[in-house]
Amino acid sequence: MKKFFVFLLVLVSVLMFAKSLEEGIIEVGRNLEKNGISEVRYSVWSSGDPNSVIRVQGIVEAARRINNIWSKNNIKVKITIRETRYELDFTQMYQEFLSKQPLGTAGDFLVNSYVYIASLAEEGYLLDISKYASKYSNFMADFYTTQVDAARYKGGLYGLPQDTEARPFYIRRDIAAKVGLDLIDLDKKVAEGKFTWLDVYKWAKETVNKQASEWGLIHRRGTAHPDLMQFILAFGGTLYDSKTNKLVLDVSAVYKWLMIEHVFSKEKLLPSDMMAWDWAKQVHPAIVDGKTLFDIGGTWYWTEWQTKNYYTDPKTGQTRGLTPEEVKNWFYYTLFPAGEPGKKPVTLSQPFMWMISSKAGSQNPKYAALKETYDELAFLVVAMASSSDINAIHSIISAHLPVSQQAAKLLADEKWLTDLYNLNIDLDDSVKTVLRDIVKATVHPINAKFLTDVAYMLEYTNFPPMHPMYPKLAAIFAETVDNVLRGRMTPDKAVEFVIGKINADLDLKQNILIVGQIPADWRFGD
Amino acid sequence: MKDSKRSLELWAFLVPALLILVVFYFLPTILTIFISFTPLRNWNIDRYARIFAGWRNYYRLFYAIQNDPSVRAVFLTTAVFVPVTLAINVLGGLALALINFFVGKRSNALINTIWLLPRMTPIAVYSLVWYYFFHGSEIGTLNSILIKLGIIHRAVSWGQEFLPYGAWSVIIFVNGLVGVSFGMIVLSSAVKSIPTEHIIAARVDGATDWQLCRRILIPQIRWHIMYVATWQLLSLLTSYAHTYLLVSWRLVDKSYGTPWALYVYELAFTGVFDQGLAAASGVFLVIVGAILGWLTLKILGFNKLVTEPRGDL
Repeated sequence: MKKFFVFLLVLVSVLMFAKSLEEGIIEVGRNLEKNGISEVRYSVWSSGDPNSVIRVQGIVEAARRINNIWSKNNIKVKITIRETRYELDFTQMYQEFLSKQPLGTAGDFLVNSYVYIASLAEEGYLLDISKYASKYSNFMADFYTTQVDAARYKGGLYGLPQDTEARPFYIRRDIAAKVGLDLIDLDKKVAEGKFTWLDVYKWAKETVNKQASEWGLIHRRGTAHPDLMQFILAFGGTLYDSKTNKLVLDVSAVYKWLMIEHVFSKEKLLPSDMMAWDWAKQVHPAIVDGKTLFDIGGTWYWTEWQTKNYYTDPKTGQTRGLTPEEVKNWFYYTLFPAGEPGKKPVTLSQPFMWMISSKAGSQNPKYAALKETYDELAFLVVAMASSSDINAIHSIISAHLPVSQQAAKLLADEKWLTDLYNLNIDLDDSVKTVLRDIVKATVHPINAKFLTDVAYMLEYTNFPPMHPMYPKLAAIFAETVDNVLRGRMTPDKAVEFVIGKINADLDLKQNILIVGQIPADWRFGD
Repeated sequence: MKDSKRSLELWAFLVPALLILVVFYFLPTILTIFISFTPLRNWNIDRYARIFAGWRNYYRLFYAIQNDPSVRAVFLTTAVFVPVTLAINVLGGLALALINFFVGKRSNALINTIWLLPRMTPIAVYSLVWYYFFHGSEIGTLNSILIKLGIIHRAVSWGQEFLPYGAWSVIIFVNGLVGVSFGMIVLSSAVKSIPTEHIIAARVDGATDWQLCRRILIPQIRWHIMYVATWQLLSLLTSYAHTYLLVSWRLVDKSYGTPWALYVYELAFTGVFDQGLAAASGVFLVIVGAILGWLTLKILGFNKLVTEPRGDL
C-alpha cells in the first residue's frame, strides 16, 4: 500500500510539473531573445525510400510551427533550417554523420535506424534526451512504449520514434490462383504456425515447375540486415544475449536459414545472383511484373510500387506505377512464416529515430554559454516534428506504421485523409510542394486500410540487436548468403566460414557467443 | 659570400617542394604510424588518440591474415592485380605512344581523346558504365551482345563466376584502361622530343618500323618508361576508388575484387570504423610500397638517370 502511495505521489508530481511543449517553446524562445539571439540555424540529414521525405520535411514543418508560436507570443526569434539532406542509402548517411560529427560539420538532426544508436551514443555523438523526456512526459505518453524503449541505450534515451514498420511476406494472388494455393485465411494459418517455410518451398517449386512464374521467391539484395535476419528468428534463434550484452551466432538457426537459400537457389526458385540484383531495374520490377510468387518485403513497398515506375504495362509497353487497386488486387500479405512446424512466425522492425547530435546548434551564436537552451530547443524541434499529424502523413504516404496512438487514430479518419489528399491542411508551403505528387499517388483509403491491416504484425515483431559490433556480423552474413546462393559453399561449409570469420577477428570473437551446432538429422527440400 | 648566395638560391628552389613533401607525404605517414598505435575508432579522436595501444593493432592484423581466408584472398588479389595492371598500363601506354608516332596527326587527336575518356569521366560514372557492361544478368551489355550472337546461352556473372579469375579480370580491365592514358601522354611526349635527325638517319639506313622502335625510339624514352612504371606501381598499390564501387555494387566478388588499399579503406570507413587497425594495415602498405618503389628504381637504373652529365657546365 505504501509503495502504491509513493508511486501515486511521484506520478502526480510528474504530471504537475510536466510541461506542455508550447510552454517549453515559449520559455526557450524568451531565453534566447534575452541573450540577444534572433535566429537559430539547424540542418537535418536523413535517408530512405523516395516517399519518406517527411524525415527531413518534418523538421522544416516543426520549425515553422515553433516560429508561429514565438510570433504569437511576440518573441523575436526564428528557426531557419539551413540544410535538408535526403538520400537513398541510410548506411552511407550514418557513415557520413559518424565521420563529420566530431568535426562539428554533421547535420544537427539525424533521422536514421535505431541500430546506429549504440555506436553513436557509445562515442558521445548523440544528445541524451532523458531529462527532456521527463520534463515533457505528457507529450511522451502518446508514443507506443516499445518504440520509445528501442531508443534506450545504457540508461540513456537517444531518440524519439519517427516510424516503424513490419516486413510482410507478399504473395502474388494471380500466380497463387494458377497453382492452386488457397489464400483464404492463409494469414491466420501463418500466424498459427501451420504454414511454414516447408510450405513456401513446396509452392515455390510448384510455381516454377508449372511455369506459372519465373521465380518462386525474391528477397532483398546487397545486405542480410535486416530482412534476412528474420530466418534466424523464424527458426527460434536469437541474435543477442542481454545477460552478457553479446551478440549470438545461433549455429542451428543460421544453418537452417542458409539451407533454405541453398535449396531455393539450387532448384532455381530464387536467383543465384540475388544479392547483386539492382533494386530499381530488377528486384521491384520482378515483383510487380509478376515474375515471382513470394517476396520478402516491407510495408513501404506498398506505396513505393505506386509512386515509382517499376511496372511495365503490357498494353503500352511503358513503365508506370501501380494504382492502389492494382496493389490491393495483386498482392496478399502475411507474417514471415515459421521456419518449420513448432516454430513461430515473425516480423522485424527497424524503427527510425529522430536523433539529435550532441553538437546540435553549435554553429549558432553564444553556443557554449547557451548549450542547455540549444539542446532543449533541439529536443522541442524533434518533439514538434513528432506531432501526430506529421507522423500520420508520413505513415500514409510511405506505408510505414505510426509510432503514436493519436497518429494511428488520424489514419482511420476519412475526413482527415480527404483533407490531406487535397492538401487542405496546416503545412508549410515548401513542404506541400515537396509532398504534392506523393500525396496524390498514395493518399487513398486502400493504403490506409493496408496500414490498419498490417498493424497486428507488430505483436510478432523483433528488433535487430543494438550492439556496436552488429554491423560487422551482418556484413559476414551478407557475404555468406551470396556465397551460398552462388553455389560456392554448402550450408555446413558456410557455417564454418561464418565461425572462421568471427574467430579470425579478435573484436568479434570477444563480442559474439557461438551457441548450438549443425543439426545432424535436419533435412530441407526433396 | 658567393657560396652562401648560391646556397640561398638553391634553398629557394627546394623549399616549396620540400614543404609539399613534408605536409602531404611525410606528415600523413607519421600520423598513420601514430594512429596505428592507438585504438582509434569511429573518428573519435578526442577519446582515443591519446591512448597507447601498443602492438595490438598489428597483432590483430596478422591474426586476421593468419586466420581469415578472405584477408588471404585480398593478399593474393593484390599480388596479381598490381603487376598485371601495371603491365597493361605501361605496355598499353607505350603501344599507344608508338601508334601516335606512326599514325597521322588527325587520327592521333581522335585516338588520344578516346583513350583519355576514362580519365576525364567522373569515377562514379565510369564505374557505372562498366557495372552495366559486365552486369551478370540480361541487362548487362556484354551478356546481351553475347546471347544475341549465340555465343552464350545464359547470362554470366563475369565478376562472380570462375573465381578468382573472373573478379580479377574485371578489376584489372577497368583499372587498366584508366592507367593506359597516363602512359600514353607521357610516352607520346617523350617520343616527340626525340631529335628528328635520329629518325631520318635510321630511315636513310633502311630501318624498318620495328627496328626503329627497338633501336631508336624505345631506348631513347627508357627513362620515361621507368618513370611511368614506378609512378603507376605506387598508384596501383594505393588505388581503390574504381574497385570500391564495383565491389560495393557486388559486380565482383568481395574477397577477390578487393586489393589491399581497398581493404584498408573498408576497415577505416565501413563496418565499425576501425581506424587504428586500418592505420596498421596502411603502414604495412607503406612499407611494401617503399620496398617495391626502391626495387623498381634500382632495377630500372634510376641512379644513371640522375648522374651529372659529362663535361663542364
